[in-house]
Amino acid sequence: MPDTTTSTASQAEPEAPAPAPVDQRRRGLPWWANPRVGLVAVVVALVAIFSGLRPSFLDVDLTLVPMQADITVFVVVGLAQLAVLSLGHMNLAVPRMAALSAFAAGFTYDKLHAPLVVGLLAALLVGTLVGALAGGIITWTGVNSFVVTLALDFGLLGLVALLYSWFTSGVAFSLHPDGMDALRSDTFNDYCAGPICGPPVPLVVPIAVVALVVVGVLFRFSRLGREILMCGSNARAALLSGIPVSRRVIQAHALSGLLCGLAGWLLAINNGAFSASVGENFLLPSFLAPVLGGTLLAGGAVSVVGTLLGAILNSVIQKGLNLLQFEVDQLQIYIGVVLLVALSLDRVRHVLADRRGVRP
Amino acid sequence: MRLIATDLVKVFPGVRALDGVTIDLRPGTVHALLGENGAGKSTLIKILTGVHKPDGGTLRLVPDGWQAPGDAAGGAGGRELHFGGPADAQLAGIGVVHQERNLVPAFSVAENIALQRMPRSRGLVDRAAVRRLAQGCLAELEVELDLDRPVAELSVAQMQLVEVAKALATDSRLLLLDEPTSALTSEESDHLYAVVRRLRDQGRIVVLVSHKLEEVFAVADTVTVLRDGRSVARGLALGNLTRSQVVDLMVGRAHADIELGARSVDPRATPALELEAVSTAGGHRDVSLVVRPGEILGLYGLVGAGRSELARAVLGLDTITSGRLLVGGRPVTIGSVGQALREHRIGYVTENRKEEGIFLEQTVSRNVTVTVWDRLARWGVVRDRSEDTVLARYVDRLGIRLSGPRQLAGQLSGGNQQKLSLAKWLAADCAVLIIDEPTVGIDVRTKAAFHELIAELAEGGLAILLISSDLPEVVTLADRIAVMRDHQLVGEVDNDHHYTTMSGRVIRLVHGESQESGAAEAGASETGAPETGTLETGAPRPGVPAA
Repeated sequence: MPDTTTSTASQAEPEAPAPAPVDQRRRGLPWWANPRVGLVAVVVALVAIFSGLRPSFLDVDLTLVPMQADITVFVVVGLAQLAVLSLGHMNLAVPRMAALSAFAAGFTYDKLHAPLVVGLLAALLVGTLVGALAGGIITWTGVNSFVVTLALDFGLLGLVALLYSWFTSGVAFSLHPDGMDALRSDTFNDYCAGPICGPPVPLVVPIAVVALVVVGVLFRFSRLGREILMCGSNARAALLSGIPVSRRVIQAHALSGLLCGLAGWLLAINNGAFSASVGENFLLPSFLAPVLGGTLLAGGAVSVVGTLLGAILNSVIQKGLNLLQFEVDQLQIYIGVVLLVALSLDRVRHVLADRRGVRP
Repeated sequence: MRLIATDLVKVFPGVRALDGVTIDLRPGTVHALLGENGAGKSTLIKILTGVHKPDGGTLRLVPDGWQAPGDAAGGAGGRELHFGGPADAQLAGIGVVHQERNLVPAFSVAENIALQRMPRSRGLVDRAAVRRLAQGCLAELEVELDLDRPVAELSVAQMQLVEVAKALATDSRLLLLDEPTSALTSEESDHLYAVVRRLRDQGRIVVLVSHKLEEVFAVADTVTVLRDGRSVARGLALGNLTRSQVVDLMVGRAHADIELGARSVDPRATPALELEAVSTAGGHRDVSLVVRPGEILGLYGLVGAGRSELARAVLGLDTITSGRLLVGGRPVTIGSVGQALREHRIGYVTENRKEEGIFLEQTVSRNVTVTVWDRLARWGVVRDRSEDTVLARYVDRLGIRLSGPRQLAGQLSGGNQQKLSLAKWLAADCAVLIIDEPTVGIDVRTKAAFHELIAELAEGGLAILLISSDLPEVVTLADRIAVMRDHQLVGEVDNDHHYTTMSGRVIRLVHGESQESGAAEAGASETGAPETGTLETGAPRPGVPAA
């Protein structure tokens, strides 16, 4: 998978004669300051601890399969935030963009009896439009993305509740289209060609893989993604280099909305219900995954692989503490502490990078 | 007190910024400090205010009433000053009003004035004392301002007065005003001049750093002129000088003529870029100019004359309200930099390299190829290798020194960063380049290399509009020199590449004097300031009418 923040810069003297560029990849920050390496180590350590304390942590049906479904959702949630972090913006409306998109999907299933795919497309469309709206408001008014998306989230919160109360008898759509239950509960292991069955991987996982690859390629190789990163790096210079900054801001927010739509739809599928509560726990994980993975809050650099690792870590901690029978409240305390520690490490990384004159 | 600086020397890597500056600042005078860009004014100010330490020479403070025997400028006596930092200069009674305002917008007038010495009682700010202190300072200036108003609500002129009052609050006996009226209207300026005269009449020293000759003649008593890091006139009485004489002092006669121009430009060629009586929302009126392929048009003027803003209007970043813009002979309208680049092949190398020119935390390779990703992309995908190919072309051609294509732009030296911000336009195959202050903050050697490069680009057929406040640079490079003042073109001259003649003609245009009548006009007459000044500069002049 493409990784767009690999610390490829060197710390060589600017005036030094140019050596072969090949060596430059290894220099820069020490390996332990690479957030991806740290994440892998932490994940491995936690898995070892949890499975030592509770052997059931490695139970396929009890833990591993549901955890993969969880990770699928939170990877996409993380990518939704990453899409605007690339600009140095934030999207605090991730939860409600997801909720509104999930409503759109549920509506098409329940009222229009649409097939599974159509509902997905409806969710993606609604998410994209709301995201583009957020981006539009930010560029037109010049107001900080933090404030705009915070207000938008608040507005959408009311809208979603209202929509569910108009169109459903309770708080959720109850009808489910064909294929939804299979997508929710089946793994590839349930499908066999003769004696050979697939791995115990839920059917939804490939969706996250596709999202990862698409977003990774976008930011690593495409003109659009690169220009978005340049806007995040220095909006003024981007404008004066001929990049249509406003359009890129709207596009990045639209992408964020699209991924919110996907995340909302995935969660609703996983839960088996399209309700107003879809997405309500998205906000913290949306920052946790990319930031743990080394995406800069300041914009200009993103790490898609890091987001995957961050989402895995988040999920491992939740599942592990859950198995150790921590209460929900305690769980939240631990997650909060983990986030603070991770952000502090992020700061350490910056200080180091500053001293060595390389990219964090 | 009297402040005497003798033979100050300050060396920066590659530049001798000050090379023997002597200045004698006496109480009760307004002392003007003049010099073209790069003459060493800012360095001198920074030494006087303790920001820089001089590498040679002395600063001495002579108490009031002490008479130097003999030599007026350099006699022994007084206390030698060694500033460890700006705070020491402040303690010594030197206050400075900088061009960029250093006020806290959300604080009140009183709080801002008292900021550097907040009166405290029992660990808390004594608000009554703050108000008393501020009131006292404003009273000294005979200025009335609402003490409780947040500074953010004040006009620029009022903020300037708060700055002056702030300097008084620290008991400054010497006030340095750095371009104090650059953002003021003429009425506001007159008010400030009145304040300056009042400060002088209280026996303080006022040092006025200004580009505006009329202002200098209106309020200053004596003048020191810097040129190439030397003080070429030391404390002359302005009353005995004409403007033309002052300009001559600023220009000097010592420049070697440099041969970098002398391109053969076909005067009948279709202009690559032409402005026909262009007026803009930014305040330009009827600006007409022509740049032909293979030609460098120098656009000279003081900082704030509206040259960069004109470039921005050409790029569609500012609105053109009337007039026509022609590219390659065809009238066009340009709405964005992207459009200027892709449809009309116009590039703009900005003057603010770090803020607008390059992406410090992106790779060198991306910095150069940012303008051509649309062309490099195959099915929407840009490969690193194709980027590196583009980069390699310009690394050789411009002599950019880097350790590899993935090096971050922020690690390069200033000159190399500047080359990067030029390279991205060359990569985009521009036909017209607007280059804004290309060598600001660049050492002498790199500067010369840069000049050769720009000349080479023009020889290669590029049309170049060179915006520069560096007169030697313009005279070295340009084929023709247009001079802008207050958002209007005030003249255009063919460059004969002889610095001595060209600089005189250009500077006269800048200061609003026609080339011939310069000597005839005596400076102070039009502003009503007294013409009684003599070479004796020590005594304050009583009875000066306040404007």
